[in-house]
Amino acid sequence: MIVLLLLHLLLAVGVLLYRRRIGRAAWIVSAVGPLAVLGWSLANLSGITREAPYEQNVEWVPSLDLALQFRVDQYSLVFLLVVAVAGALIFLFAGSYFSVGPRVATFAATMTLFGGAMVGLVGADHLLALFVFWELTTISSYLLIGFDDHRAQARSAALHAAIVTGAGGLAMLGGFVLLASESGSYLISEIVAAPPAPTPAVTAAWILILVGAATKSAQVPFHSWLPGAMAAPTPASAFLHSATMVKAGIFLVGRLAPAAVASTSWWEIAIFTIGFSTMVLGGWRALRQNDLKLLLAFGTVSQLGFIFLLVGAGPSGLLFGGLALLIAHALFKAALFLVVGAIDHEAGTRDIRRLSGLRRSMPALFWVATLASMSMAAVPLTFGFAAKEAAFDSLVSRATPLVATAAVASVLTVAYTGRFLIGAFGRHQAGGEPIGVGARTPNNWLLWSPLGLSAVGVVLGLVPQVLFELVDRATAAVTGITDAGKLVLWPGWVPALAWSMLSLAAGAFLVWRSELSTAATSAVGRFSERLPSGEGVFRRAIPALLTFADRSSGLLQNGSLPAYVTTILLVAVTVPTIAVLGGLPPLTSPRVGTVLEWSLGLLIAGFAASLIFVRRRFATVILLGGVGYGIAGLYGVLGGPDLSLTQLLVETLVIALFAFVLRHLPAAFAKPATARIQRLIVAAIVGAFIFVGGLVVNAARSPGTVSETYLADAVPEAAGSNVVNVILVDFRAFDTLGEITVLVAAALGAAGLVLPVIRRSAERS
Amino acid sequence: MNSRRPSPILEAGVVAVLGPLLLFSLYLLLAGHNQPGGGFAGGLVASVGILLAWAAGGPDGVSRAVPVRSTALMGTGLVLAVLVGLGSALPGLSFLESGFVEVSLPGIAKIKLVSALLFDVGVYLVIIGITLGLIVSLGEEGAEGTEEAK
Repeated sequence: MIVLLLLHLLLAVGVLLYRRRIGRAAWIVSAVGPLAVLGWSLANLSGITREAPYEQNVEWVPSLDLALQFRVDQYSLVFLLVVAVAGALIFLFAGSYFSVGPRVATFAATMTLFGGAMVGLVGADHLLALFVFWELTTISSYLLIGFDDHRAQARSAALHAAIVTGAGGLAMLGGFVLLASESGSYLISEIVAAPPAPTPAVTAAWILILVGAATKSAQVPFHSWLPGAMAAPTPASAFLHSATMVKAGIFLVGRLAPAAVASTSWWEIAIFTIGFSTMVLGGWRALRQNDLKLLLAFGTVSQLGFIFLLVGAGPSGLLFGGLALLIAHALFKAALFLVVGAIDHEAGTRDIRRLSGLRRSMPALFWVATLASMSMAAVPLTFGFAAKEAAFDSLVSRATPLVATAAVASVLTVAYTGRFLIGAFGRHQAGGEPIGVGARTPNNWLLWSPLGLSAVGVVLGLVPQVLFELVDRATAAVTGITDAGKLVLWPGWVPALAWSMLSLAAGAFLVWRSELSTAATSAVGRFSERLPSGEGVFRRAIPALLTFADRSSGLLQNGSLPAYVTTILLVAVTVPTIAVLGGLPPLTSPRVGTVLEWSLGLLIAGFAASLIFVRRRFATVILLGGVGYGIAGLYGVLGGPDLSLTQLLVETLVIALFAFVLRHLPAAFAKPATARIQRLIVAAIVGAFIFVGGLVVNAARSPGTVSETYLADAVPEAAGSNVVNVILVDFRAFDTLGEITVLVAAALGAAGLVLPVIRRSAERS
Repeated sequence: MNSRRPSPILEAGVVAVLGPLLLFSLYLLLAGHNQPGGGFAGGLVASVGILLAWAAGGPDGVSRAVPVRSTALMGTGLVLAVLVGLGSALPGLSFLESGFVEVSLPGIAKIKLVSALLFDVGVYLVIIGITLGLIVSLGEEGAEGTEEAK
């Protein structure tokens, strides 16, 4: 497994390095990735199906219990096979679709990375590893969608997708952490085997995970990013939206659903609500699209809703139909996306109001599209039909309203399938100059890839039972239920058949009398355009967020140094005070002190007090230095030569550096009006706090402190008798390393801030 | 550029003091493990020396006294400190764990060489680099009194 992932990385980096010279071979090289996945899956198929799930554990940080743990069972295998088959054909398609160039090679490398991330996501057993791969798909999909980076629309669509799925990913991470802390394990297999008890934290975890899955799989109300993502080049759309990215959310809910159902009471209802509303909404909106690709995008949203609810519903037979539908969807949707890509490539548009007569000019492509469309509409003898029968069958045995809703959505599916096929290949007069008459069927991978995908669908439609074992075992791997459904050419006279025939007929009627559906959708459209749409909300939310950030940072980062210092000091006073208020230790009266200590103390106090009355900046620096030297003296008297020495040196340097700075400032302070009183109050509070704090800290000392250990260990352990130094460079050397790093950063920052200002003023003078 | 003529007495005095000062700073660094001092204090003493060089010769005086860039000093120091840490991690000890060997110079003394001393040298270099950077950037000529002129 890890080898597969490294192979993807290697391929991507290799293509990237040779992007200028590789040319069209980029896609051949990239196709090695999915082909390797296919080979691996087939090689392990019988082992996983008949014996045990494939497991691999790559240690990473054992002390933190972090490892790359992979576990591939039959359920994961279904997803791997789908990714591999669709991926390989799409990569080959892209080789004919794109021109040659370094940017295209970069695109191929990104696609490979994306494919690798998807494989890792499906294979990971550790929640955090899954999250990392999840985010990798988000990042690489951002690059893929925004490939045409000179178009503002592509950039904003990429950002939209990244923000929505990224936010969902963050919510999901929170859910993972909560779930793992409640169940005591980060391993999916262990969580599913022993689901956590339904506590409020677990409920929150499931909600967050559901949000993550719903954003990734474009479920209502997060679906709006997917149609926008159609700005991506068609091969990327086909890869992301048929077989990979959007299936990630489905994979996750399916994997975790048994545990979720066990530890919540609302999971199934939530899944059904989300799934069905997505299904109906997507189908409805697909009916209104004129762009073939957008039509397919909304169709994808609709299909995803159906698969989401079937797969996510938990330990029930629904999963069987869901997985069958998932395979069918990947095959026909990838094929149709590629058909659109080929049309776009040859005819130069994908607007159904302008395309006309393609059936005659591109007959082969027309038949490919017809086969795939039939599968999408679930016409008998196709694999889509067998899958949908299985799904309907399991819904019928649950409840009639469920299957009725699914049937309504299927009517819409049939209707938009008809709109797609007639729109793409039919004859139209209305709406400007028809184009596409002169287009010719391409005789390369532009045709062969969708043909291959459609052909697989047709073969599977004729002998759907070949997939029965795979789907059945996958269902059993998650739910423990075997024989949950059947995949057959003809189901016999069962209620499910009645439902699907009914929806097929109603859909066909809508296609025949297409003006009816047009009138209905535009009537509702006039109304619904006034409602907030997902995309509109997103578009308004981002500027609002930016404005909020602008205002809040303007308020908090106001640029006033006194305000910052005051805030820091008051926080430093408040927090320990609250902590101490709970239990104040009995204060012991400190010892009286010697004459030398008293005189040094008075000297310090005198310097400090005279600071208040001084107006000239340089005088304040000198007085502050006096305070510092006095404290250095106190350290010396109290037996800390190291501290004393360091304090003395620091004080000297600080005075000198202050003097440097003062060269650029007016000699005297501006006359303070009101702020003076406030600052005096703050100073008094801080002074009182330090005084009382010193007493409290002194009284709170407990015997057996860490300093005694240090004193005892300094010579034998570190061979040094200066304990202060031993602490700095040995016992707490890691702290020192951190401190000098911070110091370097601060010095570089200071130089960076100061130098431009000085140079500019030097140029001006 | 350099509008200021340093007084020859100051210059001569600084030259006289600078050597012993740097020697003292090295002493503090090396003796720090057992006596007061250490990389931090040693670095600060050397910084005072740089300050004196500035007072005597301005920016040119500093670059003559320390012909190295401040960033190079900081970088070397940080890398040295990290390398010392990694060096103890390699033989299976934990990061930054120190070790020592006893070397006896026959007839003179027995010395314990501590790996932490190398770490302290890193600290020493970083401190000098930081103060050098601050002195160079803050002490750049040509901007005196511009605020008052406004």
